[in-house]
Amino acid sequence: MTAIGKTPPLLEVEELNVTFPTPQGAVDVVRDLGFTLEPGGSLGIVGESGSGKSMTSLAIMGLLPPRATMSGRVRLAGRELSGLTDRQLRRVRGDRIAMVFQDPLSSLNPYYTVGTQIEEAYRAHRQRVTRRQARRVAVEAMERVHIADAARRVDHYPHQFSGGMRQRVMIAMALCTEPDLLIADEPTTALDVTVQAQILRLLTEVRQETGAGLLLITHDLAVVSEMTEEVLVMRAGACVERASAERLFSDPRHPYTRALLDAVPRLDDEVGELRTVHGRGPSPAAGATEGDER
Amino acid sequence: MARFLIARLSGVVLILLLVCLFTFGVFFVLSPDPAVQICGKNCTPELIERIRTNLGLDEPLLAQFFSFLGGLFAGRTYGVGESATHCAAPCLGYSFQSSQPVWDMIMDRLPVTATLAVGAAVLWLLAGVAGGLLGALREGTWWDRGAMVVALSGISVPNYVFALVLQYVLVVELEWLPFPGTVTFAEDPGGWFQNYLMPWIVLAFAYASVYARLTRANVIDTLSENYVRTARAKGLPRHQVIRRHALRPALTPIATVFGMDFAGLLGGALITETVFGLNGVGKMTADSISRNDQPVIMGVTLLAAFFVVVGNVVIDLLYTALDPRVRVNSA
Amino acid sequence: MAALPTQPAAAQESAPPSGAGGAPPPPRRGVLRALGRDPGAVLSAAYILLVVAMAVFAPLIVRMSGWGPYEFDQTAVNPDLGGVPFGGWGGAGGEHWFGVEPGSGRDIFARIVYGARVSMLIALAATALTTLLGVVFGLLAGFFGGKVDWVISRVMDFLMAFPALIFMIAILSALPAGNRAVLLVVVISLFGWPYLARIVRGQTMSLARREFVEAARASGAGRATIVFREILPNLRSTIIVMTTLAVPGYIGTEAGLSFLGVGVVPPTPSWGQMIASSVSWYSVVPTYFAIPGAFLFLLVLSFTVLGDRLRAVLDPQGVR
Repeated sequence: MTAIGKTPPLLEVEELNVTFPTPQGAVDVVRDLGFTLEPGGSLGIVGESGSGKSMTSLAIMGLLPPRATMSGRVRLAGRELSGLTDRQLRRVRGDRIAMVFQDPLSSLNPYYTVGTQIEEAYRAHRQRVTRRQARRVAVEAMERVHIADAARRVDHYPHQFSGGMRQRVMIAMALCTEPDLLIADEPTTALDVTVQAQILRLLTEVRQETGAGLLLITHDLAVVSEMTEEVLVMRAGACVERASAERLFSDPRHPYTRALLDAVPRLDDEVGELRTVHGRGPSPAAGATEGDER
Repeated sequence: MARFLIARLSGVVLILLLVCLFTFGVFFVLSPDPAVQICGKNCTPELIERIRTNLGLDEPLLAQFFSFLGGLFAGRTYGVGESATHCAAPCLGYSFQSSQPVWDMIMDRLPVTATLAVGAAVLWLLAGVAGGLLGALREGTWWDRGAMVVALSGISVPNYVFALVLQYVLVVELEWLPFPGTVTFAEDPGGWFQNYLMPWIVLAFAYASVYARLTRANVIDTLSENYVRTARAKGLPRHQVIRRHALRPALTPIATVFGMDFAGLLGGALITETVFGLNGVGKMTADSISRNDQPVIMGVTLLAAFFVVVGNVVIDLLYTALDPRVRVNSA
Repeated sequence: MAALPTQPAAAQESAPPSGAGGAPPPPRRGVLRALGRDPGAVLSAAYILLVVAMAVFAPLIVRMSGWGPYEFDQTAVNPDLGGVPFGGWGGAGGEHWFGVEPGSGRDIFARIVYGARVSMLIALAATALTTLLGVVFGLLAGFFGGKVDWVISRVMDFLMAFPALIFMIAILSALPAGNRAVLLVVVISLFGWPYLARIVRGQTMSLARREFVEAARASGAGRATIVFREILPNLRSTIIVMTTLAVPGYIGTEAGLSFLGVGVVPPTPSWGQMIASSVSWYSVVPTYFAIPGAFLFLLVLSFTVLGDRLRAVLDPQGVR
């Protein structure tokens, strides 16, 4: 889009800081965070709740709560996003970057059919689209995420779907505009274990089809190890380690990463105590940081 | 759906029967002998006895109740022989004062009350929702504070006090409006409007205030919902996010509250009509109270209960129409 | 929170505090400190205390001001003008601080002071009775469930479906005059308790399923112990807030009923009834109407503001 010859990275984040005012003074929930993601690449951000990973994704989308302040630079394919007005930013949201949230039930509006909500996402970025065309796109998107009988289900309301199916709807909604970057914030946390694997498989599949980049935010190291090429470990708002997924698991450098890895229960573990991470460090007020925790 | 309706309607009938029984009990057990009251000054024991027989007051209480109920659904005949009068269903009896059928008295005055109620309802919905929206979308600004101070006053000021203040300012001091009188729409639309303007405002003020607070709270709550975040993440323009994703869910509960308030409006109309001298059902009730005209009071109580109970059913139906989660799941 | 002329049903619909659902209520001293920082709450509390003091010390205050509430002062009104008070501002001055009633010449200040007595007494008694009934029936329905719940819930449905104001008027007009104050309290409470009970019932139901109640039950605590030691303390915030918000409703209801002539009967002074008797004079002697009107408005406003702020402090999640 900009420099000739060399394509700029899909996403560049530099010196990102997010601050929340609290009665006890300002709390930095993200501190000096920086990373890049190449087109079609995938990056996992891992951390405990309160580590600032969700706020990072909201900052990229420009969806931080109004009382939060942010500084730093976010570039999408070489284009600066951080200085844009909300109006300009809204053309990027949902079109170039699409997002899948943690809890698909509360993230879908109960008052509209899933079809209507997918159509909305499509029509927000395509001029002169008839309802019928948008509806066809919605049905196709639902078929792509393997919702059986999509032509009928398109007129159903979110509460008529199961948890896994709702998350499929969310993914369909994110995909219908063919975005370059998909941000998935804890996409499987609210789901049953058996459904989690299906959703992850689906995410991998659609990524292969569309070539979209993936930013996966999770607390689950196992998920990251399967899904992304690179991993960034966050703690108390800052990056403690960044490495390829392979290396991170074979050779964790930072003690915190090691502690996190140890805390993952394995099948070959002795039955008994679960290891936990001790010494959470200077974690900012946990409740105030994770926007998705209710 | 049909089963739901039948269950609901049988509940309605049960509650209305209870209301009848309760009202009947209070009036005919606790109050002084109606026959003596009807009889008036030049009373003789024989006259009282005749009134008793005519009204069926000499029968046992339960029998009286059943003839009252019978009158409601099938009409009844008072007295025997030549002096007998038939009261067609729905028979609520006759006024002690004017000897008119209560049902006709109510029906004569219902248009005034309906005009008052509908006008006030339109006013309070518009003002309340607009004020609440203003507060929610400009949260923390002077607009918000201003709207909420007005709403707080509206909740705190008794409507007869507000009515008198308004009348003093607009009619006595500024002379912008004439003293309320009786003008029909057909005679003089402008005068009719001026006539009803103050009663509308007075009746609407308290409701508008409550609705403004409720709307504000609901919209602020809804704006922090995850699905509003989703709507923004999809890149919808702000006005669409607010109109479709915040307002629709926030206003749905208000629609149901509105049904209940509207059905219960007869109580509020009573004071407003009295203060402004509007000749509606409310004023008739107040007059009947001061004259102890029990058949009229009882008739109005039953009618008001009927409105409230039916209003509740309508709300239930409305809710199923407005909220897809309550709708019968056909999937 | 009985249905009353100035209070739409929506007022009762606004969400109750969810204090019982989440964290334990903040310690009492913290609540007082938070309210102390809020000028609206402080002013409201000060005005309420003033009115309470007026009510309690009414005989003393009246002795100071010189005129009792039932004394006629024919020298203060002009018989040639149909009893309009001499002097401006309704005859207010050193002799009669707030002026006199047109016609009778009774001292308005004394009647306001004694009126506070009647209004506060009725409103507070009605609140106490309503709270008692609401908490007891709400707890019973929520804790025992089943048939008990069914019966209580149907009674509540029935009472809430009633056109309460019209019915209150009807009952009061049908009953012999007798002691109107007691009747008012009973009638207001009869229609008021379901609104509190409904919320107590819901919160009790959710509390009864919570771990700490399960734990108490598992450790063999009796029903009474569970209700009084585990559930009731957790309902404290809810009850305090609902009660504070109910008082202005009852003050308004009493005044409204007295205004309509079915409440407190003359010569006993009550603010609502003073306003009623001022109606025919309001364009000639506006102060006669304005003084009780302002006292009544400010009292209702103060309780509403205080209730709002209390809710905000006790239930930070549900600030509205």
